[in-house]
Amino acid sequence: MCLGSPYCRRVDGNYAEALDLLPGAVSLLHAAGKRAYLTTPAVPREADLPHVSRLVDAAAAAGADALEIHNMGVLRIVREKGRPVPAHMGAYANVYTHLAAGVMRDAGAVRVRPNAEVSLDEMAILAREGGVEVEVLVHGKIPLGITDRCFLLTESEETDPKCPSACKAVHWLTSREWVLKTVGKGVLSGRDMCLLEHLPRLVADGFRVFRVEGLYETAAYRSEIGAVYREALARAFAGGSFALEDRWGDAARRHAPRGLCNGYAFGTAGRAYIGTVLQDANPEV
Amino acid sequence: MAELLASGGSMEMVRAAFDNGADAVYVGATGWSRRRAQFEMDDAAIIEAQRYARSVGRILRVAFNTLPASSEVPLFMARTDALYAAGVRDFILTDPGLMMALKNRLPDTILHASVGCTIINIQDALFYKEAGASQVVAECRMGKATMRRIKAEAGVGLEVLVHATTCYTLLGRCTMSSYTKYGHRLDASGKDHFPGSPNRGGLCYRICLTDWDQVGAAGEIEASGVQLPNRAYFLADDIPYLIDHGVDTIKIQGREYSVPLVGRMVLFYRELIDACVRDRAGFRMDPWRERMARIVADRDAERREKTAGLISESLG
Repeated sequence: MCLGSPYCRRVDGNYAEALDLLPGAVSLLHAAGKRAYLTTPAVPREADLPHVSRLVDAAAAAGADALEIHNMGVLRIVREKGRPVPAHMGAYANVYTHLAAGVMRDAGAVRVRPNAEVSLDEMAILAREGGVEVEVLVHGKIPLGITDRCFLLTESEETDPKCPSACKAVHWLTSREWVLKTVGKGVLSGRDMCLLEHLPRLVADGFRVFRVEGLYETAAYRSEIGAVYREALARAFAGGSFALEDRWGDAARRHAPRGLCNGYAFGTAGRAYIGTVLQDANPEV
Repeated sequence: MAELLASGGSMEMVRAAFDNGADAVYVGATGWSRRRAQFEMDDAAIIEAQRYARSVGRILRVAFNTLPASSEVPLFMARTDALYAAGVRDFILTDPGLMMALKNRLPDTILHASVGCTIINIQDALFYKEAGASQVVAECRMGKATMRRIKAEAGVGLEVLVHATTCYTLLGRCTMSSYTKYGHRLDASGKDHFPGSPNRGGLCYRICLTDWDQVGAAGEIEASGVQLPNRAYFLADDIPYLIDHGVDTIKIQGREYSVPLVGRMVLFYRELIDACVRDRAGFRMDPWRERMARIVADRDAERREKTAGLISESLG
């Protein structure tokens, strides 16, 4: 489980900010047999760096299993501290090539999540040549953009009474045939990435780390979609024929009011869906 | 003294930029910079531009600042090797892996970390310095305190854009365009231009600039016709400050604009910088503002036309 939000330090309940909550959360996850990762601010300005330094120390002290890092400066801070916690490069780290992955590996990264635009074919090369584990987003909103000014506020963060509650509600942005989701400082895909019917290919390609993105989603989304993928991955790894259970598709569609897509996995526009099983069952996708 | 860096979207624009006072001009290698091929240059044109730069005692920088596919790394190496053999030494890159590989391969190249690196703090600047960059471009909204700190402590050159349009998101950290439309176009060398992805091929459909409705969870309209703010910004007022604090390069964007407009922009900033350096104590900004306003109005008109075309193209 990855704790914290990379988008905004003011998000309620952000473990990357409320460092005193971290030891308890990490202990709870470890007691449940889970690994505990902690994300870091994706766009830390100079004034945020002292907090980042404390966050790295707190993660190490709490026994976190890895830090998710999006910013090269944060990666450098971790390296300068002697790599007290392994680094996982996050979606905004802009990992596109195996050479970039190699530079980050040498600075302490053991895992990279390639940029959303990187296709599965490219990821396979990156994993083979980059010397790092590759994390594949299999389900959830695709991160499309980040800024450090909140779209949902009219005043500054300090003075606008809507902060920090505005981003707790769901807000879509619609225009023409496009739908995006805004979370204030982040823009996410309107459709949910869904690679359910492609899991056998991912397994055959050698990928072993799969992410279900639950940021800004409900607890029901996280538990139900997570359970679907746990079961579906077990079946994909078992080999043999792989058929989607109707209830998997039902759960995916129920939690994706704006439809499903495959992101850029197959080299298409991010909002496209390549496949037959779920699409046939839901022509609106 | 701070260098004035201008854009070169064609040989004609390169000449106009140098002739109007640019100290350096950047051009994009076809398929490898953050603009579509129409505003980039092939090797023959780059070499011609390099010769012209050398003949007038100035610098030509070649941008390879997209984020390619791993399979395209050999193409990058071959292309930079060819330009190096022709005398090009100055390159602008984004991918830290390419940066380090090029520096190791050709140690006397001069590498600048592109605006696409999104360098927002001193630790970022140090990271790219360690990857081989001798100069970094400040992220568009970087505050003056961070600029001062990088200049004082990082031991790396600092470049600041003074005439540009900021994206809604942090530049280099956005894939909204390719979410809506994204394709593949291989050129004769085998390079994919990735139309739809400015990070990878240089064509952004600017969908952020269309009108959006903000809609709540139940489908209710919360706001109509909202735009994701892209703000044009012109830091002419800051130029004396940038000069005083030793900023190495003052950059103006504009490969997509007409050659006469780019020529006027370069001349304006050349004269402004020279006037400031000539009489720092007596320099006043007021007389420059009216001329600046005319340039901005013409620039905005050209940009509006291009943006409308791009959004329309994204729907095709």
